[in-house]
Amino acid sequence: MNKAWKLMRVMVKMQLSMANKSSMEIFGFVVIGLMMIPFGLLILFFIQGIIGNMYAALEPLGNEGVILGLLFVMMTFIFCFTSIGTVLSSFYFAEDVESFISLPFQPYQILFGKSAVPFLSLYGLNTILLLPSLVFYGLHSGAGALYYLLAIIVWALTPIIPFVLTAIVLMFIMRFANISKNKDRTKVLVGLLGFAFAIGINVLLRLDSGTGDVAEMLTQQNALLELVTKFFPTAYFSSIALTDIGSWTGAFYFLLFVALSLGAIVLFLTVGQKLYFKGVLGLSGGKRSEFDEEKVQKHVKQQSLLTSLWQKEMRIIFRTPTFFTQIVVQSLFFPVFLIIVMMLDPNGPLTGWGTQLSEIEGKKVILGMFGITVVTLGINPASFSSISRDGKSWFNHLYLPIPSSTVILSKLLVSFFMNFLSILLLSLASLIVLKVPFTIWLLWFVISLITGWVASIAGLMIDLYSPKLNWTDEREVFKGRFIGIVPLALEVAVFGIIIFILWNSGLEGIWTVSSVLILILFIITIISQYFLNRMVERKYYKIV
Amino acid sequence: MIEINRISKSFAGKQAVKDLDLSVPDGKIFGFLGPNGAGKSTTIKMMTGILPIDEGSIIMNGIDVAKEPMKAKHQFGYVPDRSDIFLRLKGIEYLNFIADVFEVPKDIRKEKIEHLTKSFGIYEALNDHIQTYSHGMRQKIVVSGVLLHDPDVWILDEPLTGLDPKSSYTLKEMMRDHARRGKIVFFSTHVLEVVEQLCDEVAIINNGHVQFKGNMAEMRQQFKDDDNLEQLFLELTQNE
Repeated sequence: MNKAWKLMRVMVKMQLSMANKSSMEIFGFVVIGLMMIPFGLLILFFIQGIIGNMYAALEPLGNEGVILGLLFVMMTFIFCFTSIGTVLSSFYFAEDVESFISLPFQPYQILFGKSAVPFLSLYGLNTILLLPSLVFYGLHSGAGALYYLLAIIVWALTPIIPFVLTAIVLMFIMRFANISKNKDRTKVLVGLLGFAFAIGINVLLRLDSGTGDVAEMLTQQNALLELVTKFFPTAYFSSIALTDIGSWTGAFYFLLFVALSLGAIVLFLTVGQKLYFKGVLGLSGGKRSEFDEEKVQKHVKQQSLLTSLWQKEMRIIFRTPTFFTQIVVQSLFFPVFLIIVMMLDPNGPLTGWGTQLSEIEGKKVILGMFGITVVTLGINPASFSSISRDGKSWFNHLYLPIPSSTVILSKLLVSFFMNFLSILLLSLASLIVLKVPFTIWLLWFVISLITGWVASIAGLMIDLYSPKLNWTDEREVFKGRFIGIVPLALEVAVFGIIIFILWNSGLEGIWTVSSVLILILFIITIISQYFLNRMVERKYYKIV
Repeated sequence: MIEINRISKSFAGKQAVKDLDLSVPDGKIFGFLGPNGAGKSTTIKMMTGILPIDEGSIIMNGIDVAKEPMKAKHQFGYVPDRSDIFLRLKGIEYLNFIADVFEVPKDIRKEKIEHLTKSFGIYEALNDHIQTYSHGMRQKIVVSGVLLHDPDVWILDEPLTGLDPKSSYTLKEMMRDHARRGKIVFFSTHVLEVVEQLCDEVAIINNGHVQFKGNMAEMRQQFKDDDNLEQLFLELTQNE
């Protein structure tokens, strides 16, 4: 175990070290940190309000335990969901895995070390969400010192079981993913799990919402608690442990919860010892196909340089698991999610909503839809990773006779294509499900295309200004880089002013407003294109 | 002909190359030697346009690399010292991309791809992703890509590292053949035997300066006492 601790210290140091960060990134961390203060206060305020109201309503019926039950169920969800990404990244996708395998460590020791960073991020969330909630609950219920003591222990143990369950499920999946024929594709599928999880939960909640006679349950003590914690026994145990303080039941459930959590750790290391290496070994390899001369010949064709560059970028995005999940899935998640939710509820409030648009003033419809588009297209991971994605291969653009303008254009076309896909999906949703009138859709479509182009330029410029080429794991291109927010903030500021001016202007009528908006967007496009070109001239050959 | 005229390059105050002067005549295999950190790669990066030149100029076949970069880049083919590039592309996709960059016509590229990859023994792996290639195979695919457009000047950074004896022999033969046709092969290496076997001329660089330039006979003449090249190399590059 001593070895495992040492390993963990090294791993945490390596992952959290600021040594390699540029001053820009450190500045980013500081800004985010400062921004978190009011945000954190806001969260505290909300939590306090919700718990206070719920306590006032449920306490007279003896059902106040539900508050804790809901809290623990919610935390379990959050911990499972966040663990999917962090576990995959730390256990399987990080490049340093292989260098540890060659050292004389037991699988469980490596696993122990590798869990540290995902675990720390869970404790971050745990501290922001669960800790204040437990304190507020204690204040409302007027609990004594024993409650706080037990609450601290429960707080410390809560992340363990969700983390262990997620990790074990993932280790099972990866163990089989690893023997599958196409590893990259399987990795992409596993990466999709998180999104499937989010959509699945939403579907489940919708299907389940109509059942149960809540009014009747309210009269029975803890009946409601049993309902909400139906699938999460540990949430039930910890709730009882904190509500029945001083009773034998409370003590029993508390000890049970502690024992289960400690048992989970042992289970995790035991399963890990057996499964972990089977999922990791040979992860970086790939399959060799049967040679097929015809296939080779099919690839030999002459095409324009721009097409060739664009194709190369798209292939790399679609074939690299991290890029695929961060760029393609991320850009399409929101529209797909929207469509699924609407499809599941064909008679819901959103269906046919578009028909009501004709009753609203045309100007407001267009400006409103434009505003939504800006936010949707604003964070485009394809654009702010344009240069950084190349990593150490970037220098190839420099010695090959490829004009910088062609390279930049190909990259713009790639991120624009991603925006275009979202716009298409949103179009489908608005035309078929929302039944938005055709003219309104058409105007929105044109405006969105231009906005998409401007957004692509903004992201590319930011990445060109401060690219991250020195990565060893593709995740570093996205992780801990806050520059994705910068283009969004810029766009929201610029377009927000335009929306504000047009909204308050004397201009009326959907066509007039749209024409003016399109004209303004064209001018912005030309201006940003001009600045991009100047930046390319200055920076392009200096990126090393 | 390559003319390197008093080029300098520094990084954050540290001088990597200082007043380096070299000229490489046509029809020669030119070996560029030096210990680690001597400035070899920096010089090659300036020749190929990867690094901007601080001072001085590089003229390749009469074209100034800094002034007419696109034209100059059509003159040479460059094999970088790292081959872990474009890993997610298939071998054939990489070659086709390079052929698109150099606008190689379809029938010529087809013939060239077949000829080059067959002589390196990687033809049957062309449909696989470069990621699945061994180090030597990656090196071979990059060399094949460089030779697709038949450049006049070959600039090779440690080209033989990782190649098996047969491929190493093939590449050396190709280099000799290229020089015989009156073209230039400029390559850097640490392997002294290769220099002895292959080079018509050599330059030894240390601390960003050229320590010696001449043909093999001149080098031996200058350092009569040394019975082998290794000794000589150590003597030339030892840090005072």
